[in-house]
Amino acid sequence: MAVYAAPVQELIDELGRLPGVGPKSAQRIAFHLLKLSREDALRLAKAVVEAKDRVAWCTRCFNVAEGELCGICTDDRRDATVVCVVEEPRDLVAVEKTQEFRGRYHVLGGAMSPIEGIGPEHLRVKELLARIDAEEITEVILCTNPNIEGETTAMYLARLLKPLGLRVTRIASGLPVGGDLEYADELTLGRALEGRRELEG
Amino acid sequence: MTDFRGYAEADVTFAPGLTAVLGANGQGKTNLLEAVAYLATLGSFRGAPPDALIRDGADRAVVRGEVERDGRELLLEAELVAGGRNRAQVNRQPLRRARDLLGALRVTVFSPDDLALVKAGPGERRRFLDDTLVALHPRNDGVRGEVDRVLRQRNALLKQAGGRLSPEVELTLDVWDAKLATAGEALARARTDLLAELAPAVGVAYAEVAQREVAVEAIYAPAWSRVDGGLAGALAAGRPEDLRRGLSLVGPHRDELELRLRGLPARTHASQGEQRSLALALRLAAHRVVAVATGTPPVLLLDDVFSELDPGRSDALLAHLPAGQTILTTAGALPPGARPDQTLTIHDGTIVPPAPARTKP
Ligand SMILES: [Zn+2]
Repeated sequence: MAVYAAPVQELIDELGRLPGVGPKSAQRIAFHLLKLSREDALRLAKAVVEAKDRVAWCTRCFNVAEGELCGICTDDRRDATVVCVVEEPRDLVAVEKTQEFRGRYHVLGGAMSPIEGIGPEHLRVKELLARIDAEEITEVILCTNPNIEGETTAMYLARLLKPLGLRVTRIASGLPVGGDLEYADELTLGRALEGRRELEG
Repeated sequence: MTDFRGYAEADVTFAPGLTAVLGANGQGKTNLLEAVAYLATLGSFRGAPPDALIRDGADRAVVRGEVERDGRELLLEAELVAGGRNRAQVNRQPLRRARDLLGALRVTVFSPDDLALVKAGPGERRRFLDDTLVALHPRNDGVRGEVDRVLRQRNALLKQAGGRLSPEVELTLDVWDAKLATAGEALARARTDLLAELAPAVGVAYAEVAQREVAVEAIYAPAWSRVDGGLAGALAAGRPEDLRRGLSLVGPHRDELELRLRGLPARTHASQGEQRSLALALRLAAHRVVAVATGTPPVLLLDDVFSELDPGRSDALLAHLPAGQTILTTAGALPPGARPDQTLTIHDGTIVPPAPARTKP
């Protein structure tokens, strides 16, 4: 039984698919949007389309990029031999804010989580391995989130990378356990980067 | 509290000593204790899902408690949102995670269902151990939570594997096993340490409640701990069977806390009366261990326990109740030995007498 007119229900359904938006919030946002002036609503719609059309994934590190490569990959002042592995572009932003890291990144696109059906084959693991020789990488810093899935993903990557004979490090503990990198303050995350330790294979 | 269980709104002040809550069955006595316990554990001691704690027709419930700890006044607030995330705050400061409320208030609950501690399967006894661990230190909630989460991940992986061990699955399973071994051993170590304190305390409490000296043993000795390589070794050995069944069959989630009376398993060889005494002794012992370790005795919540006890055990329990704040409910008369500092009567979700008017901070 449809409670709302079809276009309204469709809007609610679409919003409900967004991360962190439950059915009740979807409803609230939908009615908020309906109350907006036509110009305001169109501006939002245009921003979504623009971002979708103009922003793509960096073909090297999978950060968001406006061209083939992202701003970090095209910056030749950065140390290409050290790569910091993060789960999502937002984690990359968190590490950048510390101003402690001058290398490049690799964005995995998530962390291993069988519950959500995410295995290593769904992450950009093969792409990371392919970069090691091609870019003469000597150190990989595993900067996945300090929660169970992030730790397990780091352990998995360490087991693949160590046999390749490079330095594999993990950001130091001291970050709030179970949290996300993006919520750690810059000072704490900066210290965690500085205090990174080498992982056993 | 607001919209908690059957209570639209209720405000109660409990005596520092013994408060007796009277009323016929179904009037809301247990719900009152459940609200107090919720502030301590963020869960229902009756095992009810969170949504069941919200009053019919309401979309959120709030439990608020002013407690005094170590001479400090704390205002604890927990909010349950139907189908949503629960929130908590202390002294009006929102907590990042509701779980951070744990440890601000501690309770020990005695309920008529406690017999299950002795008679039911090992799950009840594991929950008892782990709840006591959390009462000892809130960080143990993280240890338990990590084991649960890793197990869910590992089980999901086992199911997806469909009984086959491809090289990809093997490599992935290796890291989940390593994670489970670390988390599981940490939990088992915490349980073992707890038993060192708890087991003798259970013996003492049993003698008090049953009024006789009997050899009482509480043993936690997981079979996997005797395997070469500990839990990691046992997981490796059990892997083919786990894959076949799509389930994790070894680990702290399958362990037993063995209870013995006179050298025999209490679950099968003790009389009903002895089982009741043992269940009481477990609760009393946990209460004392937590009181000693934290320096503050938990608030005692006795939910209608006297209806299930013969007069001898009732008197013995009352005589040995630790000093401190105690709230007991009963549908019948109070046992003769009970001398409450305050008596409340609950009728149809209304508490009489109501809390005296206070000046709000
Ligand atoms: Zn890039």
